[in-house]
Amino acid sequence: MSGHNFSVSFFLAIRSIQRGNRFTFLLTVAIMGLVFVNLVFLPSIISGVVVNFNSQSIDYNFGNLVIEPRENQLFITDVSKVKQKIEQIPGVTGTSPRFSAGATYNYKGNQISGQIVGLNPRYEQEVTLIHTKLKEGDFLAEGDTDSILLGTQLAGNIDERLDKQDSLGGVSTGDSVVVLFNNGVRRTMKVKGILETGSFGVDRNGFISLKEMNAIYGISDTATSLLIKLSQNGEEEQYKKALMEYGISEKIQTFQEKGQGFVNDAIRSFEIINAISTMVSLVIAIVVIFIVIFINTINKRRQIGILKAIGINKKIIIDSYIIQVLIIATCGILLGVLLSFGLVAYLTYQPLVFPGGAVYPVIEAGPVIRSIISLALVSLISGFIPSWQTANEPILDAIRGK
Amino acid sequence: MIEVTDVTRVYQMGLVEVRALRGIRCAIEDGEFVGIMGPSGSGKSTLLHILGLLDEPTAGTVAINGIDVGTLNDLEKSEFRLNKLGYVFQDYALVPELSVQENVVLPAMARGIPPDQYRKESEKILHQVGLGHRIHHRQYELSGGEQQRVAIARALINQPQILFADEPCANLDSTTSKTILNLFRELNEKNGQTIIMVTHEDWHEEYMCRVLYMKDGLIEGEKACKMRNSEKIPV
Repeated sequence: MSGHNFSVSFFLAIRSIQRGNRFTFLLTVAIMGLVFVNLVFLPSIISGVVVNFNSQSIDYNFGNLVIEPRENQLFITDVSKVKQKIEQIPGVTGTSPRFSAGATYNYKGNQISGQIVGLNPRYEQEVTLIHTKLKEGDFLAEGDTDSILLGTQLAGNIDERLDKQDSLGGVSTGDSVVVLFNNGVRRTMKVKGILETGSFGVDRNGFISLKEMNAIYGISDTATSLLIKLSQNGEEEQYKKALMEYGISEKIQTFQEKGQGFVNDAIRSFEIINAISTMVSLVIAIVVIFIVIFINTINKRRQIGILKAIGINKKIIIDSYIIQVLIIATCGILLGVLLSFGLVAYLTYQPLVFPGGAVYPVIEAGPVIRSIISLALVSLISGFIPSWQTANEPILDAIRGK
Repeated sequence: MIEVTDVTRVYQMGLVEVRALRGIRCAIEDGEFVGIMGPSGSGKSTLLHILGLLDEPTAGTVAINGIDVGTLNDLEKSEFRLNKLGYVFQDYALVPELSVQENVVLPAMARGIPPDQYRKESEKILHQVGLGHRIHHRQYELSGGEQQRVAIARALINQPQILFADEPCANLDSTTSKTILNLFRELNEKNGQTIIMVTHEDWHEEYMCRVLYMKDGLIEGEKACKMRNSEKIPV
């Protein structure tokens, strides 16, 4: 397109927007803005669920990597050696051995079966953040005996309607619970604190010191898992390889691999819903935007005919409509970005509560760029087709509106 | 010069074939103010549209300055209309989103004339048609006569060889019509502007130098002007 042709197209487009039908302009911009929100919102919630799942997995459940016993073995033996070896790797900021076993909790006639986890309070604080999530009481200390931390879902509430599932019926700090370990040992333990992390895998368990757990099971320097914290998230696969190279022969899993199952299934389902929703939104966007712009352009058939009659070539005319729809699309996308960020700000302040805890929407560049490209393309098509059709009509037919 | 040779135009309206022009043959010299008159359905607008490259003949040729315009492609016709022809329509056909001056300069912009030049030229023409005080107004702020004068100014901006006017006074009262016709006559006499105008008002004849009478798709006769070189007709 030559320079002056473009400037004529641009001039006609600008004047049409400035002085044309304001209602049509605002309606089209509003539709585009809302379609943009629709395209971006659900992926932002899914991203929020993923981020929430990842951070909960790292911060409360597994750290970045988990080492477990080799196949056909029940325990990691010589844990301190393994721990020492791992801590030599640059980028590893902490390791925490854990010993998990089955147990039955009894409190005032309520009996719940679950897991009990033995951990070293000092090491655990280098890896997870569960020590920061005490609803009441204190975190374990290294020398604690007959002390237990209970997850809030295990402890439960006196009013059982507040419980999400069966619980011990409202255990508080200072109460005593009877724990029957799966090796037959029975202990009465004083509740030192109640944990509330929002993560099911933590809030359903009981925690005692590793030292006491080893004593109960009559073992030492043994764990069922070793949690590893890295200085940076997202490098798990790299470190998995590095650990193998350092001669760690136990089973190494990233937190994602450990967490496979329920959450991943949920995310996959969400992604299917999102794909369907995106498709439907785009089809609606194409139809609505096309209709609005088509009607607007068809209403200007006579004007297009007149412009052609006075010698304005059809490329200038078509380009002026394309520029118009691109301006409308830009305004619509900007409105959509503003609305999306407004919605995100609101949901950050008032987060959605999912079973895994509060979910904050996370707007990622991918869906935003996809939405911008989709809307720009839809607009281009919607602007091009009717203006091309009209500009290619015989001049007199366009002028007479035949 | 325009030379029309055996031009026919047949429209298909459903199953019915309408022969709007049945073999027109005529010539229009440079500098003429030619009127095309005749009853409704006689084919006068069809002829004007074909002469102005807004429509194509079914058969026959139209040559403008020796160029057989039937051989031009779409883009060449568009360029030809832009550079050589000017149009004034019955209902003014202005772009409502543009101001008076913007409407006038649009064909000059499309030609790539520098902005300073087309602005200056548009102001000159708008003064000439008596709208120097209205250049920044919009269409809805103008009377019918003023809108038609804007259309004339737009038609003149590229200094066309031929100005086509399709019943330019059809929507105007007689006083305003006289203003427009005087303007045409002045352009024709002072600048030698070739004008071809369709009308069915007999009293318009006195502004023209030649009138072609049409009936049933044929030129039935022609008449030389009465008032050529006479004084301006009082409004």
